[in-house]
Amino acid sequence: MKLEAENLTKAYHQHEVVNIDKVAFGAKGLEGLIGPNGAGKSTLMGLLTRRIAPTSGRIRLDVGSGSRELNPLKSHEVARIGLIKTNQRIQGFDSLTIRDSLRLAVTSPRSEGFMSIFAGERDPEDVEERVSRLIEAFPFTDRNGYARSGGEKKLVDILRCLIAEPRLLLMDEPTAGLPDDITRTVMDIVRQKVADGKMRVVVVEHDLPLIWEYCDYVHFLSEGSILFEGAPEEVKSNRVVAEKYMGV
Amino acid sequence: MDYLIFSFSLMLVYIGLAQLLHVQFGLLGIPNFGVVGFWGLGLYGTGVLYVSYDVPLVPAIIVASLIVAVVSYVLASMVLQRSGQAILAATLAFAAMVATLVVTEKQLTNGVQGLGTIGFPFGDLASRNVVYFGVLLAVVVALIWVSAKLRDSRMGRMMIAIRDNEELAASLGKDTAGTKRTVFVVTCALMGLLGGLTAPLHQFLVPYHLAPSLTFAVWIALVLGGKSHNLGAMIGVFATFGLFDILIETYAPVPAEQAIMLPNFKLFCYGVLLVMIIMFRPAGMLGEDRPRHRARADAAPANDTAVKEG
Repeated sequence: MKLEAENLTKAYHQHEVVNIDKVAFGAKGLEGLIGPNGAGKSTLMGLLTRRIAPTSGRIRLDVGSGSRELNPLKSHEVARIGLIKTNQRIQGFDSLTIRDSLRLAVTSPRSEGFMSIFAGERDPEDVEERVSRLIEAFPFTDRNGYARSGGEKKLVDILRCLIAEPRLLLMDEPTAGLPDDITRTVMDIVRQKVADGKMRVVVVEHDLPLIWEYCDYVHFLSEGSILFEGAPEEVKSNRVVAEKYMGV
Repeated sequence: MDYLIFSFSLMLVYIGLAQLLHVQFGLLGIPNFGVVGFWGLGLYGTGVLYVSYDVPLVPAIIVASLIVAVVSYVLASMVLQRSGQAILAATLAFAAMVATLVVTEKQLTNGVQGLGTIGFPFGDLASRNVVYFGVLLAVVVALIWVSAKLRDSRMGRMMIAIRDNEELAASLGKDTAGTKRTVFVVTCALMGLLGGLTAPLHQFLVPYHLAPSLTFAVWIALVLGGKSHNLGAMIGVFATFGLFDILIETYAPVPAEQAIMLPNFKLFCYGVLLVMIIMFRPAGMLGEDRPRHRARADAAPANDTAVKEG
């Protein structure tokens, strides 16, 4: 599983926000993407999931059996071949309960056709089990109801992506708006799933201690380009990163 | 008596249309303001095939519904992925086009002079209008039943997700554009089917039948009853068409001089009701309903509260 971008650029009114010669995500398990504000991290995430159209460049997803060109695909097709992204800003389905939201995410689109109208049972036992197991790991105010606070909505957004188990999950600032202990529980689940080989993950974060603790590999993005890549220890001690980001 | 059966049959058609609109708008969020267009295309399609081409009634209705399906597919491909306002304007314009074409294409529709006569099926059975009422009832009950099943199904859940946040649903791998198009085409074709079934009720078709008032009547009924409630359409039609067009117009002892004011009074009442509903109960009289068969875990609150904030 590898997501590769080549000569990827995105410009708004001649102002180049992203300009990357070559980058590959998903080769190392749990990877981090860091960089100062305005470095183009979120734009890059949007480009990779086809939510933003690139000005130029190619994006390919290597899925073992061959590689798929992402450029001509629509956003739901990208999700179906195994690339999903959590949202930086709160997104949700207001009319769905927390459980329904997760059931929706775990249900394959193939079983949501017209025939499902006449199916006896809406969700099979194993779906219910997976949903319950995940929900019970977190202290929701009302586990059988709706997400109440912004934090709960943000958490549901992340859990939707986790339970869908994409091949590659992009997490856009998962800690923003979440209490510390919840973030840790989430990251522990993420690490477990990565260790089990269920998925690869890229985390975009400003919370550097979290990056150093959890990630196996870190990409440093500044002014739209990848300036440095390496193991957390290497990135931490790199002079360019220190100058551009940590303000030393 | 025959008039009453006619009124109740027409009421069933209204309930059916409002129910289909509930699926389109209440569940999926497509603001279709061209209900009368899809219904009318089915109505006139059936009429033209039956009168001018001697096609028997049932095949005529089926062919007319298929024509509506094709037309709504083309319309869906053009407008469904645009904004709500664009869909609203496009469907409204579509209905206006159907109404205009019926007037101008005289060689097919006989224009303003009208097209007829379309008789009831079932040969020369004496009470065939009653039997026909039974057929309509079966169709409408089936529509309500299927849409209840739909709401509680995996597909219904996905439709509600698309209504709430289409981009998010797509990012989870749901084919939002395809689902919207398919559901729109099927429900519009069913509106055409209801139109075809209306043809024997009116017997004689005139362009006046295609006035936009039908669209508004169905919308008012749905909003009154509850757009996202499975029975909202039915309750809404009872409260509007049933109350005014049947009960008051037929039974209220209104003196002849005042009777002429009834249609205006009806519109006035609709308006007041609509404003009150929107101000005090925006989800409609019945509100929004939730899926019926909640799975085990939802039904049993268990000792959840104890774990809270644990």
